[in-house]
Amino acid sequence: MLEVREVSVVFAGLRALDGVTLALEGGEILGLIGPNGSGKTTLVNAITGHVPLAGGTVRVAGETIAGLTPPRIARRGVIRSFQIVRLFEELTVRENVMIGALATGCGRTEARGRAAELLAEFGLESRAGDLGAELSYGDKRRVEIARALAARPRFLLLDEPAAGMNEEESAALLEILAALPDRRGLGLLIIDHDMALILRLCHRLHVLASGRTIAEGDVRSVRNDPAVIAAYLGTEAEADGPRG
Amino acid sequence: MDARNLLTLLVLVGSILLLALAAELLEVRLFVRIVTNLFIMLVLVLGLQVFMGNAGILSFAHVGFMGVGAYTTAVLTIPVRMKGMALPDLYPLVAGLELSPFMGILAGGLVAALVAAVVAYPLMRLSDAAAVITLFALLVVLHTIMLHWSAVTNGPRTLFGLPRATGLGLAAAAAVLAVPLALLFKESRVGLLLRSSRDDEVAAAALGARVPFLRWQAFVLAAFMAGIGGALWAHFITSFSPKAFYLKESFVILAMLVIGGPGTVTGAVAGTYIVTLAFESLRALEAWLNRAQIFAEQVVGLTEVVLALAMIGVLVLRPGGLVATREVGTWLLRRRSKKGDAP
Repeated sequence: MLEVREVSVVFAGLRALDGVTLALEGGEILGLIGPNGSGKTTLVNAITGHVPLAGGTVRVAGETIAGLTPPRIARRGVIRSFQIVRLFEELTVRENVMIGALATGCGRTEARGRAAELLAEFGLESRAGDLGAELSYGDKRRVEIARALAARPRFLLLDEPAAGMNEEESAALLEILAALPDRRGLGLLIIDHDMALILRLCHRLHVLASGRTIAEGDVRSVRNDPAVIAAYLGTEAEADGPRG
Repeated sequence: MDARNLLTLLVLVGSILLLALAAELLEVRLFVRIVTNLFIMLVLVLGLQVFMGNAGILSFAHVGFMGVGAYTTAVLTIPVRMKGMALPDLYPLVAGLELSPFMGILAGGLVAALVAAVVAYPLMRLSDAAAVITLFALLVVLHTIMLHWSAVTNGPRTLFGLPRATGLGLAAAAAVLAVPLALLFKESRVGLLLRSSRDDEVAAAALGARVPFLRWQAFVLAAFMAGIGGALWAHFITSFSPKAFYLKESFVILAMLVIGGPGTVTGAVAGTYIVTLAFESLRALEAWLNRAQIFAEQVVGLTEVVLALAMIGVLVLRPGGLVATREVGTWLLRRRSKKGDAP
């Protein structure tokens, strides 16, 4: 289990996260939602060691990872993607995916095998020899997720994985993501503003506003929560898109 | 090693062997000297490519490690009977030593790598401008030591008496070995991870890459190659002073790599060939202009100015250099498969 307990992050006196607590089990998909500036990306940054904690702790399977560097946290099975796609643009697609395996300690042969398997799964075999810079935005996003999966993470944190994708690409991505927990036994945390995707995909939701948790629980109860409607979803709770 | 890398290796090593054969058959002394020097430069440029090309950090310190290699082999290989004159204050421990040039060259590489291993680790945590400035500062430190450690370097004065051991064959052999070394490193696990950190350090670290350690490994290997190159050069030129390992030499080696393309081994080799050809042609032109007295004043610095302009031109028009991303083997195979696809 990935446990985030009472985590606070402060930037130059501003409390970006204030005592946030959440838990993510293996095999579960948790949606992290909230208006812009609510602290979603900061929470992922805090979990993965990209920003220091002002308080609280983070544990993976009982082991504290708070205070470790990002590479050490990654090697303990917590892998993330970024809000703005960060592909290795001068490496080929195959090499990009191999990096996910190599960075966590795999040898080249094993990394090549994992890359071949993931490229087939993501329908990217024909682009294997192309450079990252030569891909469309949607393909870049898919390669980024394949690269993260090559690390065989226990917990995968995806920051707006469908951002910039068209409806078709978004639907294809949803299918892949929905199958991940069962196929790979990993815990998936997803930040996204695409409420249609979040509502169809997630088992549970965690809602942040101004750095604090305002609601958490199963999808149905959270989407009907008055505090969430007021802060994020708007009065048309049935609408697909958020207000924020 | 896959087909594209094997083909790259074949083309690059083949070009070295062809050049060596041409120099051997032509038997023109000046041409043999130019080609021998080119092969030594190739070892140095490939060494720089190992670090700069894969880590994406410009290293001025490289030429400093060339100096470490040159002085190491000098101390170990100058004949004992000459050491009293060349290095009168040399420490007794090494004053009586007289190794073969081959051992001296190897020691030059190892000592340079050892110095790099000790000093570099804290520096490898830095990125971007901070890393470049720090490595420039390291060059200044190494140069100052060479200038003032008179017992070992003869201070700012010329050190002489090294046996002339580097000929066309030895230089060509070193260049032939340097190509697969650089290529294998680039394609190794460390090389691939390092290249990912060059493209995006934050993303590489988020996947588990220990970037400072990766950079350190490349830096030590690059210093080893610089030390070997420096020692080869020392046994080619046989007398030198610390100023041979400073800004002017740094500029030439950097120009070779930047013009060719730091991201590829092919670029490093092509850049060395092109800049050597340009350098020697311009030097001949400069000498001819002065002999013919076409201008009232002597023409000086033509080679440096043209080289600098060429570097600016390449950086503006092709920031990745002439061979930016794909090795020659990859390029040839892709071209062939595209031709095969064509109706």
